[in-house]
Amino acid sequence: MDEPGSDFRRELEARGVSRREFMGFCSAMAVMFGLPKGATAMIAEALENKPKPTLVWLNFQDCAGNTESFLRASKPTAAEVILDLISIDYHEVIMAAAGHQAEENLRSVVENQKGAYIAVVEGSIPTGANGAYCTVGGRSASHIANEVCGNALATIAVGTCASFGGIPAASPNPTGALGVSDAVPGIKTLINLSACPVNAQNLTATLVYFLTYGRFPALDKLNRPLFAYGKSIHDNCERRAHYDAGQYVEQWGDEAHRDGQCLYKMGCKGPVSFQNCPNIGWNDNTSWPVACGHGCIGCAEPDFWDKMTPFYAHLPGFPGFGKGSDIDKVGFWATVGVTTAFATHTLVHLGKKLVGTGADHAPESPPERTDEGGAE
Amino acid sequence: MTPPPAAAVKGGARPQVSPRRRDVEGIERVYVWDLLVRMSHWIIMISVFMLAFTGIYIGEPFLIPAGPENEQFVMATMKTVHFYVAIIFALTVASRIAWMFVGSYYARWHQFVPMSPRRRRDVFGMLKFYSLLSKEPPLNVGHNPLAGMTYLAVFGLYLTMIFTGFALYSVSAVGYMQMWEFLLPIFGGAQMARWIHHLAMWFLLGFVAHHIWSAMLVSRVEGMGLIDSLFSGYKFLPKSWRNRDE
Repeated sequence: MDEPGSDFRRELEARGVSRREFMGFCSAMAVMFGLPKGATAMIAEALENKPKPTLVWLNFQDCAGNTESFLRASKPTAAEVILDLISIDYHEVIMAAAGHQAEENLRSVVENQKGAYIAVVEGSIPTGANGAYCTVGGRSASHIANEVCGNALATIAVGTCASFGGIPAASPNPTGALGVSDAVPGIKTLINLSACPVNAQNLTATLVYFLTYGRFPALDKLNRPLFAYGKSIHDNCERRAHYDAGQYVEQWGDEAHRDGQCLYKMGCKGPVSFQNCPNIGWNDNTSWPVACGHGCIGCAEPDFWDKMTPFYAHLPGFPGFGKGSDIDKVGFWATVGVTTAFATHTLVHLGKKLVGTGADHAPESPPERTDEGGAE
Repeated sequence: MTPPPAAAVKGGARPQVSPRRRDVEGIERVYVWDLLVRMSHWIIMISVFMLAFTGIYIGEPFLIPAGPENEQFVMATMKTVHFYVAIIFALTVASRIAWMFVGSYYARWHQFVPMSPRRRRDVFGMLKFYSLLSKEPPLNVGHNPLAGMTYLAVFGLYLTMIFTGFALYSVSAVGYMQMWEFLLPIFGGAQMARWIHHLAMWFLLGFVAHHIWSAMLVSRVEGMGLIDSLFSGYKFLPKSWRNRDE
């Protein structure tokens, strides 16, 4: 084995990550971006030699689930190293510093590396009660976000809360929670990595892409990277063949469910949700919701807690008939009602006419005078 | 009552003429609906029924095939039929809308918007007729103004169906149909687009129910061959009515 040529490689070896594992990680990243073979070398080269930017991680109104997801990214051991080597100067959950010392770290990054660091935001930003619902070090989340994100080279919103408001912003949104794009007006470079929680592999990949090419990957209309959010769950789903065949789970635990058939009728939101879960899976590609027999709940979509519920029904209810009502049942009976009403109406009309004239279209008397008819 | 002269009724069965009209001098056969109007009417009817059937299946798959999935293709077939019929439907609606501006007189947009005072008055006359307050509907050569306004709303439903459908199709589309992606945020995401698509379908089916019954009723009461005219293009009108709307 050749001598490590750079600090980075020495660092990897010290942590027991072989060159082979590292190259495997770079290939996996290239595959994720859909890049050709040569890209692997390019990624490896960039990771080894480019200066690592500073990163600050802000936690606001959420459950810290994205941090959990990120810390449990175990498969690419190399990824951990890379994320370590990106200098994480502030992270409320994992930093050693506390109190004023910690806040001082954040302040010094914002002041000394203005426009050069990456801000990662986790959690929504409450705006109600003048921001009093979430304060860190005596300052409101909105104040911190505007200062830190406004001076950053780029902001990555991880998780649906930071991207679109998520669960804290669900109706009736008592704290006036907003995603970063709304809470920090005029933010320049923002990437939303929505999902509940964010898939650590997508976060790693976004950072690797940024390190390699010096810019962020192509984004969709909601500022999400296309490599991760470009396809619907449904289009890459492993149960798609059952969908096309018309074979559906009708009830939890029925034969179709045990056979692993399509969860469409159980309210799976895969057709209207976008992420790469079917491809990269979760927890080292151990599994993902549909693989373990539960439909997608569309956690990466804006307002999913309001729009994707009920999670076990195809569509939201009909206003006035309750959240669990079925719009198609309401519509069907409304249509039956309209048909009956108009049938009755027509029959009454013709019946009245029949009674009124004695016989339809058989006049006994001269035609009666109606409106003037003719010209205006 | 003088029977209408046979000469006026060339090429068609003698129509029944409502007795209350003063046009005892007879009736004549007037070309009201041009070919495109009639064709688009029936194409839209057939495609709406096909789209509703396949669409209801897609929303709530009620046929459960037996056997291994590699021998079945029920949902995929339904979706394919739905998509192809949707293309026919969208093109027909588009041509009919264009025809509102370049078509023949009774196909034009002013038949759908009550522009003249008489047509505005007839809206209320028609409402009175429908609410059983009067026995006689106001008579019009083309659409009655209330029907015209209803059809305008129905065209709104058509466009809602088409655009929510295109937006949902763009999710998995390959090629130029991806351009409709921009509609998704306007509808509030794909899930809401779905919901609107369902809602608009039930409105449309409700309209169909109303339309069929009302067409039968009005056709019977007017006695001008309303339903027949959607096949032949001709209505049987009292003489001197030909230019009533002009």
